[in-house]
Amino acid sequence: MARIGVFICHCGENISATVDVKKVAAAASRIPGVAHSVEYKYMCSDPGQQMIKNAVREKNLTGVVVAACSPRMHEPTFRRACAEAGLNPFLCEMANIREHCSWVHEKSDATTNKAIDIVRTLVAKVKKNKALLPIKVPVTKTALVLGGGIAGIQASLDIANAGHKVILVEKQPSIGGHMSQLSETFPTLDCSQCILTPRMVEVAQHPNITLHSYSELESLDGFIGNFKARIRKKARSLDEKLCTGCGLCTQKCPTRKIASEFDAGLGLRPAIYVPFPQAVPNKPVIDREHCTYYLKGKCRLCEKICPTQAIRFDQEDEILEVEVGAVVLATGFDIKHGDFFPEYGYGKYKDVIDGLQFERLASASGPTLGEMRRPSDGRVPETVVFVACAGSRDPAKGIEYCSKICCMYTAKHAMLYKHKVHHGRPYVFYMDIRAGGKMYEEFVRRAQEVDGVQYIRGRVSRIYERGGKLVVKGADTLLGARPMEIEADMVVLATAGVANAGAEELAQKVHVSYDPYYFYSEAHPKLRPVETNTAGIFLAGACQAPKDIPESVAQASGAAAKVAGLFSQSELVREPLIAVVDRQAPPLYSTCVGCFLCQAACPYQAIEKEEIRGRDGRLIKTVAKVNPGLCQGCGTCVALCRSKSIDIQGFSHEQVYAEVLALLNRGESDV
Amino acid sequence: MSDFNPKIVAFVCNWCTYAGADLTGTSRMKYSPQVSIIRFPCTGRIDFMLLLKAFANGADGIIVSGCHPNDCHYSSGNFHARRRWIVFRGLLDFLGIDVRRVRFSWVSAAEGAKWAQLVNDTAEHVRQLGPFSGYHRLRGLGVG
Amino acid sequence: METLRDKARELLAARTVQVIIGYGQGSGGGARAVFVREAADADALIFNEACRQNLAVYLMKPEVRKLGKAALVATPSALRTILQLAAENQVGDHDLLALAVHAAGEVTLLATLQAIEAHVTELDADLSAAEKAELRKYEALSLEQRREYWQEQFSRCLKCYACRAACPLCYCSRCTVECNQPQWIPVPAHDLGNLEWNVMRAMHLAGRCVNCGDCSRACPVAIPLYLLNQKLISDVFANFNARSGMAAKTDNAMSIFKPDDSEDFIR
Repeated sequence: MARIGVFICHCGENISATVDVKKVAAAASRIPGVAHSVEYKYMCSDPGQQMIKNAVREKNLTGVVVAACSPRMHEPTFRRACAEAGLNPFLCEMANIREHCSWVHEKSDATTNKAIDIVRTLVAKVKKNKALLPIKVPVTKTALVLGGGIAGIQASLDIANAGHKVILVEKQPSIGGHMSQLSETFPTLDCSQCILTPRMVEVAQHPNITLHSYSELESLDGFIGNFKARIRKKARSLDEKLCTGCGLCTQKCPTRKIASEFDAGLGLRPAIYVPFPQAVPNKPVIDREHCTYYLKGKCRLCEKICPTQAIRFDQEDEILEVEVGAVVLATGFDIKHGDFFPEYGYGKYKDVIDGLQFERLASASGPTLGEMRRPSDGRVPETVVFVACAGSRDPAKGIEYCSKICCMYTAKHAMLYKHKVHHGRPYVFYMDIRAGGKMYEEFVRRAQEVDGVQYIRGRVSRIYERGGKLVVKGADTLLGARPMEIEADMVVLATAGVANAGAEELAQKVHVSYDPYYFYSEAHPKLRPVETNTAGIFLAGACQAPKDIPESVAQASGAAAKVAGLFSQSELVREPLIAVVDRQAPPLYSTCVGCFLCQAACPYQAIEKEEIRGRDGRLIKTVAKVNPGLCQGCGTCVALCRSKSIDIQGFSHEQVYAEVLALLNRGESDV
Repeated sequence: MSDFNPKIVAFVCNWCTYAGADLTGTSRMKYSPQVSIIRFPCTGRIDFMLLLKAFANGADGIIVSGCHPNDCHYSSGNFHARRRWIVFRGLLDFLGIDVRRVRFSWVSAAEGAKWAQLVNDTAEHVRQLGPFSGYHRLRGLGVG
Repeated sequence: METLRDKARELLAARTVQVIIGYGQGSGGGARAVFVREAADADALIFNEACRQNLAVYLMKPEVRKLGKAALVATPSALRTILQLAAENQVGDHDLLALAVHAAGEVTLLATLQAIEAHVTELDADLSAAEKAELRKYEALSLEQRREYWQEQFSRCLKCYACRAACPLCYCSRCTVECNQPQWIPVPAHDLGNLEWNVMRAMHLAGRCVNCGDCSRACPVAIPLYLLNQKLISDVFANFNARSGMAAKTDNAMSIFKPDDSEDFIR
């Protein structure tokens, strides 16, 4: 038998000025099942809350309706009060008669009647409420960070320094990412490796961080606090415990003319190689696609000369299984290579290069040891043209967005060139200059005013070779779209920043959503930039969208804070307003027929298959099951289910049905 | 017709339209008292049968409102709702049920003014259409 | 017909299947469903113009499922039904195979869902020109005319649920009408309840119905239920470019979405 307590608040005069609260209390007392109905000036105050607690205890109330402000305001307040009085907090509802009634209507009978309607609706609802307990999910306090670039490194260090274990997985043989390929960084012109390598070493030496380089994620199962990851450690063909990193093998390897990935194709490396001198770990890897032993069964020179006999030609990939509580995606980005603009001749002319290739030319440890020499003949280029927006902001080419960093690195490139070639002539063809960060605008001005970089507002239509020079045809739109031609020795294209190869596959493995460009989606574009819609999986760095180093670092620390917050309790406590699939007595077991329409619709992959088996192990039926750790309580599955086999606590079939009927039927007994 | 006060039920989502209606209240904007709100976590939760139940129990008009596409708090509930309404509305119309009495809208948590406008417009519109007696006449034993 | 009976005998003799679900001679020159379990009884199987029932409905009846793997004598609608049931996790390759029958009497054995899929892609699954014309005729009536028409049709409804029993896709172990807390659909046959029942059933078939027509044929008071289903089939196709019963592993149009789904009535 229901014994509902109704508490009408005056809210000072906010409600009582337009609603006759005494009348509402009187009408509420006549609703069948209401055992107590009072009004008071300030229900949320201490005395107000005490009134509720006293009534709960004295009148043995089975449910409470507080008719006052919006539940978005004070639902937690009154639920806490009920809990303190011994009534399950989920048996308390609020009737919004302030924001939705007293504040928006004039004083009249209609307003008071509407308040009565609202109270009657919530009384009908609360009669169908069930006592609920918060859901507790255990948490494994180890984080998995995928990607060892600057974002992954920062996130790993932050989480490790917070006292938690980190497993860092990096696809390449060394961590460092694209930042390790840069020569200097804007806007300070800091040497990139100088600021990065200490962090890389810190990661390698940190007692809380386990680094798996030359490894990839094979699969990810489970849910927040309870993931099971399988990691594929690709075979380096090396016993890492024996290898001392002496480098003798890389010096003696006879196969030496392989295009170096680290040098963006401008330099060469041997078949057994360390990607760059400051690599972490500083151990070589054998490139099985080019090594003579794997191709022809011959050579084995590295094996012979290795002082510790560390080479293992028959080594195989290893699969590791780990349990983690959170995952940080920091897999970074790439820039567009290839003949995206055939009219620019990239790939056709050796001296038309992209931004990363320029970084390698400028880098002191690059293929030209930092001297500005063009790829085709090694001559010093006297005139260099930089083309901004080479692919970004171009709906016709399929990349509509701005790649954010190119205006800045183009200015940087032009400056670096001028610093190295004092008499050089740098030109930049641009559409707009986007220099919104701290000290960024000043940096671009410096390029123009101090280093004499010539900025031309216009696009380049064609680049072709003529008499040993690269003719760049563009237009100067600030001079009325005057067509112009520059004879350049080298051209640098600021190609679009794009998602890394394999981004889609990885997103599907871990079940995060992504946009049409395969950048990973954040949970909310404004307020939740480091979380994804998949609970327990966080984002850091350029895998979410092109961004510069300070932003990548900031986002990585943000993701780390979320992970540390998640790990700060031994159990994850969640509100139990989630969906649940029904159970019935045998032989039915559940009215669910296993059509799994719900599973397809759930945005959180919270619905699983559950096999119901008889005592003999025979499969009776497969039904849906909601994972209480993942369900966020939207109720889409509930509305889709044809047989009404799935219901949601807090907004159940019975509750909303009762609300609709009560709202429209005055003075009739409740169903 | 001018003394006819339509009864209108609004099915709204907690995160956008309910919050938007709260904002209307906080801003003290005034609107017609014909509309009362029932709260849902998401428009995805709104069963089409509830709309029929509302009409059967005397509602003359209905408002269904939630987050704008791409803004759903649960990322896709409103997209599922949209498909449901496209099909349901077509069916009701085919059966001769006046779908002008159901107003679908996207009202965000920041659109307090839009909520007030929506309520006033719908109340006036339904007032013009008159009581939904054609539907209310369909009754029978033990109706609920 | 001989090919059909031969195939049936073969399948039963080899114990490839435990039962053939097919058509047999019914009363008044009609056909009825038969369940042949012994090769010797295969002569009971017929196929002629009277054989229109969507036999796939029996695949979901527990009494038939208990018999073991079945071979279904399948009209094009039945084939599409099998695929739709598979897409809803109700049947798999181990449950059945299909004997697709053509008007000329040929029989094609389709032993796997994949084979059924390949066969179904060759069929024209769209509403026929005549069906579309009839639908348009009703759509073109005025609001009041439509209201009157359907109120008249539903006034005859007895709530016998024959439509539900005949439909292979109505397989819920507890139908919403059997729910009384809350009572979604009132039990008695009155105007309101009849409307709610038929609306609900049509909506539950949205994106699923394969237009076999069995519901309309089963209705004892000849309510043109097919019009409701065809209206939704047409709308689902026009709005979401989705058609039911074409693939064994696919999502229902109503449980997925496209961010650019568009309508002109939500503002």
